[in-house]
Amino acid sequence: MSESPFSFESWATAQAAMLKSMFPTPADAGGAPAAVPPLQEQFEELRDTWTESINRWSEFVKEGGAFDFSKPESLRAMFAPERWLGNGAGVFDIGLRQVLEGPKYATLFDLDRKLLELRQLATRRDQNVAAFQAVLMKGWNTAFAKFSKELASSREKLPSTWRGMTDRWLSVVNDTMIDVHRTDEFVEAQKQMLRSASDYRLQERKIAEAWCDAMHIPTRSEMDEVQRTVTELRRQVRALQRGASEPMSGAIQPATSARKRTAASSPRRARRS
Amino acid sequence: MTAAKKTTAARAVAEFSDFSLKLTRGQRMLQRLKDEDVQIATADKEVVFRRDKVTLYRYKATAKRTVDVPVLVAYGQIGRYTMTDLQEDRSMLRNLLALGVDVYAVDWGNPSRSDRWLTFEDYVDDYLNECVEFICREQSIPSINLLGICEGGVFSLCYTALYPHRVKNLVLTITPVDFHQDQAEGRKAHGLLNLWTRGLGADDIDQLIEANGNLPGELMSYVFAQMTPGATLSKYNIGLLDTFDDEKKLLNFLRMEKWIADRPHHPGEAAKQLLVNLYKNNELIRGEFKLAGRTVDLRKIKIPVLNIFAKEDHIIPPKTTQALGGAVGTKDYTEIGLEGGHVGVFVSGKSQGILGKGIHDWLLKRD
Repeated sequence: MSESPFSFESWATAQAAMLKSMFPTPADAGGAPAAVPPLQEQFEELRDTWTESINRWSEFVKEGGAFDFSKPESLRAMFAPERWLGNGAGVFDIGLRQVLEGPKYATLFDLDRKLLELRQLATRRDQNVAAFQAVLMKGWNTAFAKFSKELASSREKLPSTWRGMTDRWLSVVNDTMIDVHRTDEFVEAQKQMLRSASDYRLQERKIAEAWCDAMHIPTRSEMDEVQRTVTELRRQVRALQRGASEPMSGAIQPATSARKRTAASSPRRARRS
Repeated sequence: MTAAKKTTAARAVAEFSDFSLKLTRGQRMLQRLKDEDVQIATADKEVVFRRDKVTLYRYKATAKRTVDVPVLVAYGQIGRYTMTDLQEDRSMLRNLLALGVDVYAVDWGNPSRSDRWLTFEDYVDDYLNECVEFICREQSIPSINLLGICEGGVFSLCYTALYPHRVKNLVLTITPVDFHQDQAEGRKAHGLLNLWTRGLGADDIDQLIEANGNLPGELMSYVFAQMTPGATLSKYNIGLLDTFDDEKKLLNFLRMEKWIADRPHHPGEAAKQLLVNLYKNNELIRGEFKLAGRTVDLRKIKIPVLNIFAKEDHIIPPKTTQALGGAVGTKDYTEIGLEGGHVGVFVSGKSQGILGKGIHDWLLKRD
């Protein structure tokens, strides 16, 4: 990467040069060493500390990791469309990740964190929807290319009505899109979209439940548990009822009385005869 | 100007005129029609049994009874039983009634979030079992004829394997059995549902159910729409336009729309069993599918079995259902392959004379 005139390093170098010109040492001036007055000594110490501090910051910045707004390439990246369509929603997403993946505090920002998580999941869901649509769009482009080629290569066989032409186009689209629907890329994109949509819904529920909890309203999870219990109890009661009224019901048993009854003995046959 | 060019121009004018006329006629018809004009499942019936959200109907006879043992029709949870009686002249149920069959049908109702915990066990051991018990009790008979459709066919298979004494004859239509045979014929439009479900992890399905409580009907509608991209793309433009020739066609279209729109949610836990145990793990054909600790052993089905499939079924590809022949224990196994697709078998004009008669004739021989 070429060094930019606006980089932090060049700014630090310029600061050091300025300090040196403001507080020249005797060696710089070429004269013999003289007794240092207390005030100048303090200034020199201040200058050294300042220089050291700048050097340490410069080294720290060189370690990387931080988003350096002062670099033109960083600014370009902020506004580049691919950054927004790519892995995350740019700087905003980085900020969200930093908050969400950072350490948790026992009593601080719990609801805020949930809301931020929801925002992050919405972003992920939108990205996965966009990725899914991109797969479909590729299919549409392929279909269009195929159709165009077909038109160019078989002019004499082309339908002469708009309906015939539309049917031909639909046939090409159907054929191509089914091919697309069978690709690993499509299956994976669909899976990711479904997964992130589910994750988003579940996070929404967490927030709704936090509110319900505060308002003394039963939560979805609690209702699910109640319904589960009711379903299981109903199942047990009915199994007991079946067991009490008809011992063979509910389990595989060899056919006994039912099989012994012949069709001829059924009331309907009897009625007919 | 050459003659050829004149012909083309004249043709274009005629085409435009026809198109405009058709559009105007269609607009008039749509303005005139109300939702109450679009009725489905109108065959005369009465409620004979209820349990929770489940309703058992018995249809009023329309002809002299020819088959002694009544037929119980069990549809699945992805869609509704009303498809079997879409309209007067496209109705498997009416066709059976007209041939002298005593028909019952079970409606699983509209599962809501509170039904999230219902499982296959509840549908087989409780709801279906209670319907069968009711019919046996009401008619004083030891067993019934069971007719399962799609997922209802899987319920029926499980029920017959676990309660063999209660089923005299088993009829299955468009029923998946070997969920991994979706590409056995190498037809790329077939079995996308199988492929997509296998592409999901079990944890993805768990999360989906946890987040929604059920398998949303809307999601399934979206999935089905994706499976036929061309038809989905043209449905509300060209498809609708094609019905503007006459009102009967338009009403057929709108009745089908009404049925599709009425797609219930699938109870969550039962959906997990369908998607994970059956679609992903293929446990039914492997003899590993368990309900309440009991293995559903298809070899225990020794009664006569009629398996009807659609040759162009992209949802339940023929080989996924034909696998049943080698899995059941009966020696009396019959297959009928009908022209048409998954739903077309029931509602197309072509199949009307074949499906009902095929079932009736087969039952009559085994009554």
